Amino acid sequence: MIQSDLARVYDADTLWAVSPAIALALGVLVLLMVGVVTHARWARGAVVAGTLGLSAVLQVVVLGDPPGAVFDGTFMADHASGLWGLLFLCGTAVAWLYSLNYYGEDRPYKVEHDVMMLTTPIGMMLMAGAQDLLLFFVGLELLSVPLYALCAFRRNRTRSVEAGLKYFLLGAFGAAFYLYGAALIFSATGTLSLAVLKDFGSFSTLAMSGVALLMASVFFKISVFPFHLWVPDVYEGAPTPVTALMATGTKAAAFAFLLRVTFLLPESAAMTVATIAIVTMALGNLGALVQQDVKRMLAYSGVAHAGTVLLVVAAALGGDRQPHGALDAALYYMAAYVFTAAGAFGLLAMLEQGGDRFTHIDNLRGLARRRPYTAAALTLFMLSLGGIPLTGGFLGKYLVFYSAVRADMIGVAVIGVLLSVVALGYYLRVVVALYMQPEPASLAGVAVPARRTLLPASFATGACAALVLLLGVLPRWFLTQIGS
Amino acid sequence: MNVPNEHMLYLAAALFAIGVLGFVVRRNVIVVLMSIELMLNAANLTFLAGARAHGGPDVSGPVFALFVIVIAAVEAAVGLALVIALFRLKRTVESDALVEMKG
Repeated sequence: MIQSDLARVYDADTLWAVSPAIALALGVLVLLMVGVVTHARWARGAVVAGTLGLSAVLQVVVLGDPPGAVFDGTFMADHASGLWGLLFLCGTAVAWLYSLNYYGEDRPYKVEHDVMMLTTPIGMMLMAGAQDLLLFFVGLELLSVPLYALCAFRRNRTRSVEAGLKYFLLGAFGAAFYLYGAALIFSATGTLSLAVLKDFGSFSTLAMSGVALLMASVFFKISVFPFHLWVPDVYEGAPTPVTALMATGTKAAAFAFLLRVTFLLPESAAMTVATIAIVTMALGNLGALVQQDVKRMLAYSGVAHAGTVLLVVAAALGGDRQPHGALDAALYYMAAYVFTAAGAFGLLAMLEQGGDRFTHIDNLRGLARRRPYTAAALTLFMLSLGGIPLTGGFLGKYLVFYSAVRADMIGVAVIGVLLSVVALGYYLRVVVALYMQPEPASLAGVAVPARRTLLPASFATGACAALVLLLGVLPRWFLTQIGS
Repeated sequence: MNVPNEHMLYLAAALFAIGVLGFVVRRNVIVVLMSIELMLNAANLTFLAGARAHGGPDVSGPVFALFVIVIAAVEAAVGLALVIALFRLKRTVESDALVEMKG
C-alpha cells in the first residue's frame, strides 16, 4: 500500500469515528500500567470509570455527526452503531459496578479482571459497526476471549471453571463455523465486504451454504434454538457480574451485526426465522418455568428474550416496509433488556454476599421486609422482563410485535404475545416470594452487608431502575433519539 | 499450480467434517481443542483457495488466513489455561468431568 492510500484510509474522520474504541484501548493499557505500580483500589476504579466515561462522551459527540463508512468501507460509524456503542458502554459500566465488591476476599487478580471487562466493549463496538467479515471476526474474538477467562475467573470453584470451559469449547466451535462460512462466501464471491455482497445479486449454492454456517454462528452468540443449550450452565456457573455482562453485551452486539447481515438471507427465509423465534421463546419459557434457581431462571428467560427480538429479523425479511422499523424495535427492545437484565443479575450478585450462592428462590422469601429497596428494584426488573406496562420491557415487546404485524405475520405475533403471558408465570413467582412468603428460618441470622460496600451496586441498581422506568414512561423521547 | 480449485475446497470440507466429528465424539478436552484447530485450518484452506481462484491484487483472503492463525493461537492459550484449571480441580481432562450443572 502506497503512502497516499494510507493517508486516505487513516484520515482525521476515520480516527474520530473510532475514537470511543481507541479511548477504551488506551484505558486498558493505562490500567495495566497502574496495576504494576500500585494495588490501590481507588486508582484502578478511577481509571476504569474515567475510561468508560471518556469513551461515552466521545461516543455521544461522534453520534452528533456520524462520519459514515470509514477505514476503506470496513467500519460503519453511523447513527445505529453509535447508539449500540453507548448501550455497550452502559452495560459494561453496570456489570463493572456490580463486580466491585462481589468477589470479597478471594479475588486474586483484580487488575486482570477489570482489564478484561474493559476489553469487551471494544469487541462489541467493532461487531456492531462491522461492514467486513474480517472486522466482525476480530470484534467477536476481542469480546469472546476475555469472557471465556472471566467466566472461569473464580478458578478454585468447580462451577466457575466448568462454565468457562463449556463457554470456551462451544464458543470456539461457533467461531470455527463463522470462519468456514465466511471462507465459503469468500470462495464463491471473492469479497468480504458487506457493501459489495449487498449488490452482488443472487448467490450460488456455495455462497448460500456459507451464509447458513455464518448465521448458525451468530445464532449461537444470541443463543436461539437450536444453539441455546449452553446458556443455562454458563450463566449459572459464571460469576454473576460476568453473567450480567454476557447476557446483555454479547447478545446486543450479535444482534447489531445480525441486523446488518439480514440482507444475506433470502426473503423466503422469513417464515423459517419466525418459526425459530417462536420455538426459542417456547423452549426458553418452558425451561424457566421449572427452575428453582433464580439465576438459572433468568438464563432461560434470556433465551426467550432472544427469541422475541429475533422476530424483528423475521419481520424485516417478511416485508416490514417502515424505514428503520426493525432497527428501531430491536434497539428499543435491547436497550430495555440490557438495563433490566443487567440490573436483575446485578441484584442477585449483590445478594450473594461474599460470593456464596444465594440464588435459590427460597432465599428470596420475605426479602421485602428486611430490604425493601432491593425487593422493590427486583420487582421492577421482573415486571419489565415480563412486559408489564409503564416499564421499558413493555414498549420493547410492543414495538417488536408491531413490527411483525406490519410484515403481515399476525399469527406469529399472536403466538408471541401468548408466550409472553406464559412468561409472567415465573417472573411473578419471584415477586410472590419477595412479598408474600415468610422468611426461611435458615436465613434469620444472616448479616446484611455493610451499606458502604453496597454503594457501587446500589448506584448501578438505581441507574438501571430509573432507565427502565424512563424507557417505559417517555418512549417518545427515546424513539426520537433513535430515529433522528 | 495444477491442483484444481475444487479439490482444495473438497479437502477443506473433509477437514472441517473431521473436525466437527472429533468435536462431537471425543471426550478428551485436548483432543476437542485439536478438532477445533482442524476446523480453523479448513477455513484457512478455503480462504486461500478462494484467493487463488479470484486472483487480482486483492489480498484479503490470505490476510484473513493470517488473522485466523493469530487468533487461533490466542484461543489456544486461553483454552489450555482453562484445561489446566480443570485439571487442578478434578485431576482429569475428560469432558465427563464437566457435569456439576446439567442443562
